[in-house]
Amino acid sequence: MIIKKIFCFIFLAALLFGSGVSQAAEEWGIDHEKKARFEAKVVDVLCELSGDCPANCGGGERQLGLLKDDGTLILAVKNVDAFAGAVNDLIGFCQKRIVADGLLINNPKAPLFALQFKKLAPDGRWSRAGQFGKDWSKANGGKKGSEWFKNDSTIKKVISENGVYGILGLKAKE
Amino acid sequence: MDGADRKGSMMIKVITMVLALAFALSAVPDAQAAKSKRVSVTGEIVDTWCYVTEIMYGLGTAHHQCAVWCAAGGIPVSVKDKAGNIYVVLKVEGDASNVANSRILNIQTHKVTVDGDLYERDGVKYLIVTKVANDQGIVNLTHDEYGIQPFGK
Repeated sequence: MIIKKIFCFIFLAALLFGSGVSQAAEEWGIDHEKKARFEAKVVDVLCELSGDCPANCGGGERQLGLLKDDGTLILAVKNVDAFAGAVNDLIGFCQKRIVADGLLINNPKAPLFALQFKKLAPDGRWSRAGQFGKDWSKANGGKKGSEWFKNDSTIKKVISENGVYGILGLKAKE
Repeated sequence: MDGADRKGSMMIKVITMVLALAFALSAVPDAQAAKSKRVSVTGEIVDTWCYVTEIMYGLGTAHHQCAVWCAAGGIPVSVKDKAGNIYVVLKVEGDASNVANSRILNIQTHKVTVDGDLYERDGVKYLIVTKVANDQGIVNLTHDEYGIQPFGK
């Protein structure tokens, strides 16, 4: 009986997740935010603006944007991992069309996009935009990607050299 | 239709096609058409996401550690000038990378004057820094008022 239930569960899970059930952005309570889902081509922003175009959109070394059919360039600055950007999620789609789902932050200071889900357009499989944490975990012996910023060796070095406030020896008033 | 009529009709067709083509081409966005402007910008190096969204206090010593986290995590870094303009940095001098750039990590929160090429596109100011002309270090001392953003000690 239990085995039958497990099989039913697996079947339903495969049906739900394997058939490309659409994912949907969630609100984060940020001023000027608006849920947005759109098709666009993944581009290297510096290449798009200046014509300085290395192979494969810079291979993860360049900030990436989403170029809509009407010519609008959207800067993808954030994914769903804490304190992480969207490059790891988008680099696999360099020069390809994707469906991006997330939050447009239409702040007058600068319009930005936070990527929450993505899929190859038009019928790829949705995946959550949490690639940075996965990649970091893989590169760091399986440590938890969710707490990457507490354990990252580069960050530890910068903070140990300059202090938490950026000025070595500076302390808060008691 | 005699020869002259056919010639006239052909000319009209050609002119119509040329005009249609010109109209169509003018409507196609040109990816490489952006023009840059030489600028000099003075301001604080900030994390673009935290400062723009205001999800926390995103300036000065109080936010320095978080700004390092975000830069290391690949979020674009910007220069915020006195007027509050945000210039997203896409290149620093000869560096190949603008993602988790180690030079930027080490001057995060500093007040700098940079010379560079400014591109403006769809509401975003993008800056290619050709020279960091002046680096004053961190001068915006905000930690006594705001503590350590976002989690405290």
